[in-house]
Amino acid sequence: MDKFKTLEPLKLYSTPASASPIRKGTVAPQFVGKLPSDLHLLILSYLPVPDFPAYACCSHATAALAESERIWETRWKSLKMDNKRLVSVLDDLEEHLRGRAAESRAAAPPTITVDDEFGDFASVDVPPDEMGDFVGAFQNPTTPVTASLWTNNLKSTSTFRAQYIRAHNLLKPLTKTLSSTPHIILNDLAAAVTRSLRLEASTLRLLFLFLSQTIQPVRKWREYKAALRSAMDRFDANLLAAFDNADGKGDEDSMREAAESSWLVWDGASSDWEMGKVWAEKRGIFYDQPWDPLANFTKDRHLAFDAMDDFMSIVLKAISEHGSRAVRVFPAEAGVLISFSERVASDVVGEYISAVLTRAREISVDVFLKATAASFREAWKMVDTIITAGRESTFRTQAEDVVFRMFEPNMDEYLDEEIEAIKPAFEVICKGWDRQASERHNNSSDASARFLTSNNPSQVKRNVLASFTNVLLLPVTIVPRTVGAVGGALVSGGTAVGGAAAQGIAMLNPQRWGGAGGSGWGTPNVPEGYRKHGEGDEMMFEIGTDEDDEEEEKDKNELWNEKEDQVDLAPPPSAVPLSAGTLHTASTSLDQMDQMDTLLSLDVALELVHTSRESLKRLEIFAAYPERIGDRVRDTIEEVFILMLQALGDGHVKPGFSSATARMTSYKPAEHEETTNVAPLLQFFELVHIGDTIQSMVQVYFDKEMAPHIDKTDFLNSVVREKKRFENSLDDSVAGGLNAGTEVLMNQVEHIILRFTAPREYYPPENAALDLKPTKGCIEAIKCLEMHCKLMKGSTSKEVLEVFHQEVGIRLIAILQKHIKRQIISLSGGFQVIADLNAYHTFITSLKVPSITADFAHLKMLGHVYVVEDAKDLAQIVRDVTRYGGAYRPEDIYEFIQRRSDWKKIEKTVDKTMYNLSFKEDCIIC
Amino acid sequence: MIVLKTSDNETFTVERDVAERSVLIKNMLDDIGENSEQAIPLPNVNSSVLKKVLEYCEHHRGEPLPAADADTSQDDTRKRTTDISEWDQKFITVDQEMLFEIILAANYLDIKSLLDVGCKTVANMIKGKTPEEIRKLFNIVNDFTPEEEAQIKKENEWAEDR
Repeated sequence: MDKFKTLEPLKLYSTPASASPIRKGTVAPQFVGKLPSDLHLLILSYLPVPDFPAYACCSHATAALAESERIWETRWKSLKMDNKRLVSVLDDLEEHLRGRAAESRAAAPPTITVDDEFGDFASVDVPPDEMGDFVGAFQNPTTPVTASLWTNNLKSTSTFRAQYIRAHNLLKPLTKTLSSTPHIILNDLAAAVTRSLRLEASTLRLLFLFLSQTIQPVRKWREYKAALRSAMDRFDANLLAAFDNADGKGDEDSMREAAESSWLVWDGASSDWEMGKVWAEKRGIFYDQPWDPLANFTKDRHLAFDAMDDFMSIVLKAISEHGSRAVRVFPAEAGVLISFSERVASDVVGEYISAVLTRAREISVDVFLKATAASFREAWKMVDTIITAGRESTFRTQAEDVVFRMFEPNMDEYLDEEIEAIKPAFEVICKGWDRQASERHNNSSDASARFLTSNNPSQVKRNVLASFTNVLLLPVTIVPRTVGAVGGALVSGGTAVGGAAAQGIAMLNPQRWGGAGGSGWGTPNVPEGYRKHGEGDEMMFEIGTDEDDEEEEKDKNELWNEKEDQVDLAPPPSAVPLSAGTLHTASTSLDQMDQMDTLLSLDVALELVHTSRESLKRLEIFAAYPERIGDRVRDTIEEVFILMLQALGDGHVKPGFSSATARMTSYKPAEHEETTNVAPLLQFFELVHIGDTIQSMVQVYFDKEMAPHIDKTDFLNSVVREKKRFENSLDDSVAGGLNAGTEVLMNQVEHIILRFTAPREYYPPENAALDLKPTKGCIEAIKCLEMHCKLMKGSTSKEVLEVFHQEVGIRLIAILQKHIKRQIISLSGGFQVIADLNAYHTFITSLKVPSITADFAHLKMLGHVYVVEDAKDLAQIVRDVTRYGGAYRPEDIYEFIQRRSDWKKIEKTVDKTMYNLSFKEDCIIC
Repeated sequence: MIVLKTSDNETFTVERDVAERSVLIKNMLDDIGENSEQAIPLPNVNSSVLKKVLEYCEHHRGEPLPAADADTSQDDTRKRTTDISEWDQKFITVDQEMLFEIILAANYLDIKSLLDVGCKTVANMIKGKTPEEIRKLFNIVNDFTPEEEAQIKKENEWAEDR
């Protein structure tokens, strides 16, 4: 119930309602008749003005209520008297009335017919005393000075009611004329005020406000309002003609006057403001359209937006010329500049763009995408021009909205296409690579281990990444133009973007560096697009990497020669295509191995990155889009990146690694002459290097291009998640490949050991000279191992490397143990064994993996059992578990000593010493 | 469901969203929470009026309520129209006694739209009436002396539409 305390009409008492002596002392009761006074006020707010006298005459209370400020404040405010111009109308009306009153009084004695035109007003022009006490000014109309003083006083101090009454008295007479036809109304009204378009317009506006629902000043206000409306329309039509006339003469002052007047009589509700619309429609730009949207396409169906440049400059000129005039002529609230710009945007630019896009669509999706981004970029120029034209009155967002709105219809299609186009583009790149790889399978021999052959793989990698970053910083040309390229490397319009960037990227390709020494430069394997502009701009990216390159190239040349020697084992490359079908298996498989590193290519990664970057850059142009489209743009940006990662990961890296792994698994060491290196493994390591570089590239790309669009720390973000997934899958591939690679490597080592160990390697003839060097098998095996272990450095993480080394060590031990058990070892051969084991130990120590180093130390001790002559001593050694650090049990050692050439002779003694028994003596059965 | 109890001890059971057309009841419910087992007493409203008011609420359920702070900017926000919708017109066509009861109840229950409809109707009734007729309408006693009445008449003469 508390809240109903507010029912008390507090405001009523605070108003100067007691101005009249009659009401002095009377306190309005809370209830007036059946209703509380505030409900009376509510009713009064709906009551037409002409009913007030009757209401006021009911009682003291109603009289007080009828004077309540609350009611009159509403009505006064609805006349919008905060507008200076409308206030001046009242003053002017008053002036005129007074002037005429004096006139009529002066004129009255001689003749009563003053001027028929004033007839209606004359009836209001009653003797001043009849106007009531409150319009004091009329009591002494002949003294205008004091009158105006009084009026000013009244205005500043008086109540809303008094102010309203003044307006009412001035405006009501004008309504009388409203029953006649529009042109008479206009004539009469024009006569009532000083002749000026603005004042007439203001009067019309004020009358229009006066005859409103809120005020209901006279009973017939509805009819009057309709009449007034038609009069205003007529007035507006006249203004339009006047404006047009002034426009023709370029008379901005008259234009402005007409425009402001027209703006005043516009009711603000129904449809657009006629004058602004008509003016905008008449601009030449909508009719005189000499441009041809199709000029943006060159004969060979590329884009060259020079035509659009010209077109836009025409549009911009029109906007700045007409727009700034619009700002000067039209009232700011009318927003003619913006609506004019909108019109230009939709009717001229929009049409133009849609023509361009339709044509682009017919040509190809790629051209369509480029054209979309380019034309948006072009259209965006309007924003600045609009702002410049609008000076302070235009907000940037408004101007931007003009372009955004104009372009919005194209956006959905564009965004869909962007995604749709990039999928097959990625696919084509991956597929194209696969095809090339399989082609190369037949006719290439230029495979060189680019990373591996350089002295410092990580240095090479840094160089690659540095140039890659440079390429990323290379601006993507969005608006294609015909450019005369320097040095004759002429690139025509549309391909300019792709060309330049691809060219830069091409320089990154390590194949270039390696290839320079060999046949790589000229091979048909080099992707067409990359080679095309090669010569012209070679300098672009070599600045940073020059020295390194030279050194590396030198290195490579040497290695290259070596390599070629090896390759000579196979038929000469040029002969391959001819005899491809008849090649014997060995050489084919060698070829295949040489191709291994081509399973993964930096080129492809670069192309993928480049393709996605191009569309990313296009999308970025739209990134400022507000609301729904903006969200879609951002989603699309993320999707493009994700698709790129997927293409790179699933389409390239994974299959590359898995087929490399498959090839390694199928590698049969026995089939190959080559011993020091396992070709597939070598290539696989190269692959790991490339994979690592690709990952770094992705990281750089992500940091540079994606980071501004997403929250990098948001681990739920799909882009971040996808990137993680890509890295994981790369790691998995590397791990899987390494697993297979270890297998292959160890098979190879076993193969080497088997192959190079002569039958009596450890059982030399008695008279042979002992040189106590490791055997050939051992040397070769270690060479092979050493090479591969070294290759891994710098390509993967330390942990992976350690695991790899450990695995190698463990398997090597198994192989060696097996190997030893296969031999027959004489005493002098025992020294050979020790020499071998020492060599292995030294190698393993160099790997710096503690656990396997210990194992090899123990293995080394094992060699001793072959050089002990005395059987009893031997038994002691066998039984001494601590000698082998617990790695071998006596039983294990026992197996090894069985391989001694003199085993038959010493067996009994050893057994006896070891187990204190002799089968011969103790066995009952024997 | 909400139970409302009138001044003559009758109870009405209505759905919550119907009852909440009344800002008074809405605030009460917000204050006391969900346990609306108790009947809400409406001591200022009798059953016949409440029935009528609930009819109105039922018809207008689901319409947006005017903003809570409408009081301050009342004159700007309220749709200023003397037009009354057809249904409301029919609804409000009742005898004078009932009309005033409804207005009072709408005022008490704080149902702005109904209050407006009522007041507009009264304003329409005043239109063109003589002071005497208006006095009768509101049940007002003329406390003017003839001189005073003449002066008031004169003071308000400006407003007359002749």
